[in-house]
Amino acid sequence: MAGPAGALTGGVITIEHVHKRRGRTTILTDVGFTARPGRVTGFLGPNGAGKSSTLRILLGLDRAQQGTALVAGRPYGQWRRPLTVVGALLDGSGAHRSRTGRAHLRWVAASNGLPRSRVDEVLELVDLTVVAGQRVGTYSLGLGRRLGLAAALLGDPAVLVLDEPVNGLDAGGIRWMREFLRRRAAEGATVLLSSHLMGELAETVDDVVVIDRGRIIAAGTLAGVTGDHPTLEDAYFALTSTGTRGRW
Amino acid sequence: MVRAELLKLAGLPSVWVAVALSLLLPPVVVLLNARAASSPDTGFLELTAGVLGPLVLGTVAAGSEYRGGQIATSLVCVPSRMRLLAAKTGALVLSVAVTAAVGAVVTPAVAGVLTGGTGPRIAGVVVYWVLDALLAYGITLLTRSGVLPLTVLIVNSTVVSVSFLLTRLTPLAAYLPDLAGAQMFIEPHDVGTDLTPVTAGLVMGAWVAVLLGVAAYVFHRRDA
Repeated sequence: MAGPAGALTGGVITIEHVHKRRGRTTILTDVGFTARPGRVTGFLGPNGAGKSSTLRILLGLDRAQQGTALVAGRPYGQWRRPLTVVGALLDGSGAHRSRTGRAHLRWVAASNGLPRSRVDEVLELVDLTVVAGQRVGTYSLGLGRRLGLAAALLGDPAVLVLDEPVNGLDAGGIRWMREFLRRRAAEGATVLLSSHLMGELAETVDDVVVIDRGRIIAAGTLAGVTGDHPTLEDAYFALTSTGTRGRW
Repeated sequence: MVRAELLKLAGLPSVWVAVALSLLLPPVVVLLNARAASSPDTGFLELTAGVLGPLVLGTVAAGSEYRGGQIATSLVCVPSRMRLLAAKTGALVLSVAVTAAVGAVVTPAVAGVLTGGTGPRIAGVVVYWVLDALLAYGITLLTRSGVLPLTVLIVNSTVVSVSFLLTRLTPLAAYLPDLAGAQMFIEPHDVGTDLTPVTAGLVMGAWVAVLLGVAAYVFHRRDA
């Protein structure tokens, strides 16, 4: 690991034998994989395959009936100031509509004892300073995602967990996100992102984990999972049920 | 963490509307009623209308978590549900108590009944407002939406008091949280059962404790 940013190293994500039921529906069956420092791990699968459920269990939002999910060696819930360890971007902005973007980041920073100066720093980082005084309800989808990312970066964490980070972003935003995540991983961070879009992902990820109908069906390096298929997308369709269900 | 929860409240316009409402409404009612014959409860009866603000505050404190996916952000920041709930409850109690203390002094002052002896009644108002806010808060934690608790509690405390109507059927209705609680600072004339201020506070406190216990258990157990 080169450079001073080796400080970001060390946050392995380990998920093992996770089972989740909701009522009588089985959401996840024996889900397990690892995301390593210095690499971008893409968590792929069709809509409803269990990507968000897995990430929510990893972050302690939902409970699994069985299995373990560890970040840097501990369950997420055992971190006292988790934002300094893990940055999380879930669906939407994660902010109440009638709050301003800056007010949202202020309480998030306060909850983890982070200095207020960090708020302006992350606003600058995601290029949101101009609209920071506006209410979140006036934000576009893309602006909301950037606000969510700003919150994730407040504690300068070594691990990033992002659920569909490029959803709702325009072409420029997607490129920005891709370069940002690559840079973060190059500095030693662990980046785990979920997506149902293959095109955007193939250029971003080092490792791939494919989930379908609540089960992990492939995991490995990008080259390993792509295998003999021409592209990751072809491999994905061959592996998942998406291909057999037709276009929709 | 309580600071973060106070910042959360302060960042919402509805919270400031609620505070303004609870501070302005009772004195205005006093002024409108100025020509009516005064009763022992003048300057205090009006404060029962001001409880609207705490009801909104309690509802917003819990309900705002379920708008825009804020609850996920909150739990990502503070993964321990019990610590999150403790901080949130603390922030709510603090902000309602401050609002109530101001309101409970201003309103009797406007009515010209503020004397050295009104201290215990003022304390009664503060406790009543705080407990009413916690009542709305507890219900909203369970329903995850403010619509139901706001409608029921506001209608009950302003337009038609269902609790009061129930006292016509059974004297036990005087032990319902809102009627019992109000006896901490007003003299009940026709609720049937007369409670001392302390008993009244304990009865209302018991309701709130049970409700918060259930709400905390559910909040702890369910997926966010």
